[in-house]
Amino acid sequence: MPQFEISDLITVTDPRSLRRAPVRRDDVLRTLAEAGNRRAARIVGTLPVDGDGVLDPAAVDRLLIGVHTELQRLSEEMRIGERVLHLLGPLLEAIRETAEPGARLRLVDIGCGLGYLVRRLAATRALGPGVELIGVDLDAALAGEAARLAQAEGLDCRFVHANAFDLPEAATVYVSTGVLHHFRGPALAEFLQAQAASSAVAFCHFDIAATPITPLGAWVFHRARMRHPLGRHDGVASARRAHSDETLLHAADIPGIRPLVYEPRGLANPFCTTLRPLLGIRPHLEEPFRRAMGRASRRLVGPERFAA
Amino acid sequence: MTPALPLAALGLIDAAFSGFRAYAGRDARIRKHRAVLRASLRGLAVGSALLLVPILTACAVLLTATDQSRAYDRLVDGGTAYLLCIAAYALAVALSLAAYFVLPFRASTLAMVIGLGPLTLLRPLVLAAGCTVALAAGGWPSLLVSATAGAAALATEQIVHRRWYSRPL
Repeated sequence: MPQFEISDLITVTDPRSLRRAPVRRDDVLRTLAEAGNRRAARIVGTLPVDGDGVLDPAAVDRLLIGVHTELQRLSEEMRIGERVLHLLGPLLEAIRETAEPGARLRLVDIGCGLGYLVRRLAATRALGPGVELIGVDLDAALAGEAARLAQAEGLDCRFVHANAFDLPEAATVYVSTGVLHHFRGPALAEFLQAQAASSAVAFCHFDIAATPITPLGAWVFHRARMRHPLGRHDGVASARRAHSDETLLHAADIPGIRPLVYEPRGLANPFCTTLRPLLGIRPHLEEPFRRAMGRASRRLVGPERFAA
Repeated sequence: MTPALPLAALGLIDAAFSGFRAYAGRDARIRKHRAVLRASLRGLAVGSALLLVPILTACAVLLTATDQSRAYDRLVDGGTAYLLCIAAYALAVALSLAAYFVLPFRASTLAMVIGLGPLTLLRPLVLAAGCTVALAAGGWPSLLVSATAGAAALATEQIVHRRWYSRPL
């Protein structure tokens, strides 16, 4: 049975036109019924619709902003900002070392949601000067709320309702947190190939570490921290959909890209590593990146670790 | 020694944390120390008011007892058992919190994953266990007082959340 996240079903945006498509509640319920997910169907059944049975977009937006706000609490508690910086710091150091002096770097957070990572990096100025911080999301409501939050705190970053690959300015590094598991089948490799085909020199995508205890841990945490049933449901569903290290490395095995996973299963305590990143870096960056990582680079492995 | 003072102290600390939990997940700003403090104070205020209920209940039990000295002793026995139960829980929370704030991010994640997260879920069960041991040690009057104390502790977060944080800020 396929695992669905409700949030993927109740809002649909065309990645090219950025137009939001009307979503009929009955269609979502049918999809969930076919997947045998009665609990998700019950949750969707409570969402308001108009006279044509189309989900009320304003209500869906309010709900998703609420759920993402709660989700940010999990990111804060799991110290996702520090975890990302632990890798991004050395990565940008390596990029600066190999780039032209004074070159401006642009970090683009794909599927940024409420932009927690970008706003935190902006608030702490942890990446140093000369790094432009941009958050991108296909969901207009989330991107708009991220922009509002950044403005409210006077943060030096911006948020765009757009397809990350259609931005007028090229990214130096693409990042994301909790996005990769949304790409199923060939879409995962296509997503990574689009970044490899751009002028970006690296990508760093953090996603849920797939271990046997992940679904149980996700249940405990989302039960303890999330209030809305949708957040609780999707938290566990996303843990069940998490890609294995091998799947990620295989999908990122693209010409011109060196795929790496940091703290893969077997090299990290699963209780300490709830999210771990898939990196793709241009080959010339690997040596300076490993040097900048120091001893921690031992936890950085490529597909050869999983070769038969 | 009466367990009333340590119980009240634990109740007030718990109320402040309840205020924080009622607020947590409702504010997506990055800098929010003042908002956290405000939420904790709101929890403390609501919790202080609610804690009057078990205090008044204990007073009523004593005033209506035929043998007040014996009733007092029974309440002390029940309260002590209740205190031991929730003190053990409070110690586990305190150790997890200390580890979370002091240790580097990997170890602090561990403190969160095996400590603070599950402990939040266990809180109602711990209060129920406290009521059970209070009943065993101090009889039905102790159960009555401990049950009202537990209900007050559980209600604080709900009240603060509904009053101030029912929607994202």
